[in-house]
Amino acid sequence: MDVEAMTTNDWLGVFFALVAAIGMVAVYVMVFRPSNKEKFEAQRSMALDDEDPMNMGEKR
Amino acid sequence: MEATQATPVKYDMKVVRWFTIMAAVYAVVGTLIGVYVASELAWPFLNFDTEYITFGRLRPLHTNAVIFAFGGCVLMGTGFYMVQRTGATKLWSNGLAWFTFWGWNLIIVLAVVTLPLGMTTGKEYAELEWPIDILIAVVWLAFGLNHIMTVAIRKTSHIYVSNWFTMGMIVMITYLHVVNSMAIPVSLTNSFSIYSGVQDAMIQWWWGHNAVGFYLTGGFLGIMYYFVPKQAGRPVFSYRLSVLHFWALTFGYVWLGAHHLQYTALPDWTGSLGAAISLAMIIPSWGGAMNGMMTLSGAWDRLRTDYILRFLVVSLAFYAMSTFEGPVMSIKTVNALSHYTDWTVGHVHSGALGWMAMVAFGAMYHMIKKLYGVEKMYSEGLVNVHFWLATIGTVVYVVAMWVSGIMQGLMWRDYDEYGTLTYTFVESVAAMHPYYAMRAVGGAIFNLGAWIALYNIVMTVRTANAVRGANAVPANA
Repeated sequence: MDVEAMTTNDWLGVFFALVAAIGMVAVYVMVFRPSNKEKFEAQRSMALDDEDPMNMGEKR
Repeated sequence: MEATQATPVKYDMKVVRWFTIMAAVYAVVGTLIGVYVASELAWPFLNFDTEYITFGRLRPLHTNAVIFAFGGCVLMGTGFYMVQRTGATKLWSNGLAWFTFWGWNLIIVLAVVTLPLGMTTGKEYAELEWPIDILIAVVWLAFGLNHIMTVAIRKTSHIYVSNWFTMGMIVMITYLHVVNSMAIPVSLTNSFSIYSGVQDAMIQWWWGHNAVGFYLTGGFLGIMYYFVPKQAGRPVFSYRLSVLHFWALTFGYVWLGAHHLQYTALPDWTGSLGAAISLAMIIPSWGGAMNGMMTLSGAWDRLRTDYILRFLVVSLAFYAMSTFEGPVMSIKTVNALSHYTDWTVGHVHSGALGWMAMVAFGAMYHMIKKLYGVEKMYSEGLVNVHFWLATIGTVVYVVAMWVSGIMQGLMWRDYDEYGTLTYTFVESVAAMHPYYAMRAVGGAIFNLGAWIALYNIVMTVRTANAVRGANAVPANA
């Protein structure tokens, strides 16, 4: 690799590529860390918890 | 979700009703135009020598109608529905939601007028001219601001994953639309891109693929993560996997656009990088598809009787198939055969019809029942008929394009013993005719299903309104 030929744009590209890669690794670690399992899975049924009758302020 | 059970929330759902009904209307209109342009390719006399209805002018009208009119109304309607329900709160601004509804529909009307008149930027999936682009940005930001502020005022502690997908879409589409639409206007109806040459192509496909990634995939995954558990009555199989799915798509999708430009003036490494990340994206995409399907664990028998659930589950099968096929097509060796052929059209439609439209119809049927307070659709049987028409129509369409596309690619690259091309281009066009006719038939079958959905939805609404009216009379008497 010819480091001296790298332009500002090239370095910016390298920077953002590294940020994305490190960020992705961080997400994998966070999600699969055993101590975080319960915290995440506690939200599994969140979509099911809104079963109250739909109130749109109308006469029924 | 502590607040929803304790205190009944008054929601702003009338605007969601209208988005849902208009989505059903645009599904019919958008696919009908698609059937017509497909028929024009099979039977060119259908141009009738009228410039306004030629393939070149109606094709962008078809794509804008299905992606932005149908898809947009679905995304905005479900976005407003899910953010209220999962946040146990009404919208931050009901007025802004209605501005979004009327603004978005005005944009669609403007598209219907300008595209057949030939007013176009010529950029695929971003054909509308600059005044309409500005209007899109304003209306989209109104939608985004309202959604994000509704998340901010939620009564629940956690932000459900569906809302993350919607917000990811809002942020990225704003960025993509503004950057890709940068143009120098020369009149009210004409402009030129500020980019030129290969940069213009790169920006265009950075937009093009990310519109697929964040709008047609991310936005609709938000729908999937809410409506599959709701309709199945089961919690998400793995919430951790859904979080990973969101972040992997968000980090990964933005790199893929260059795979649309293999073997062009674009530097070779950019296309290879796009293909490499595309292949890596199979992992989170399949993880997400499995997550949706496994949500049915212990409730698979419901597929026998719950026709809405069928839409949602089959959509996941198409999602898995499309997210495998796309990366394979981005590999340079495969791309050398597939690019510029109908295989690409088949791939797009297995995603658009099989994934996006199927999950959209599943969500729309679910919402209509909730929004109008009915136990069942006007006809559950017609939901089943629609399901089969949509499935068969999609399969017929996609198979026709697979066969046609691969045949095209093979004919174009075939050489004889003297090193000259075996077939002329026009011979390859003639060979496509049966498949173009088959594609039009597949599209027509899908369109028939959309008509049935519209009829069923309208009749459900009318029946619900009649019952509500009958109940209201004694109460007022």
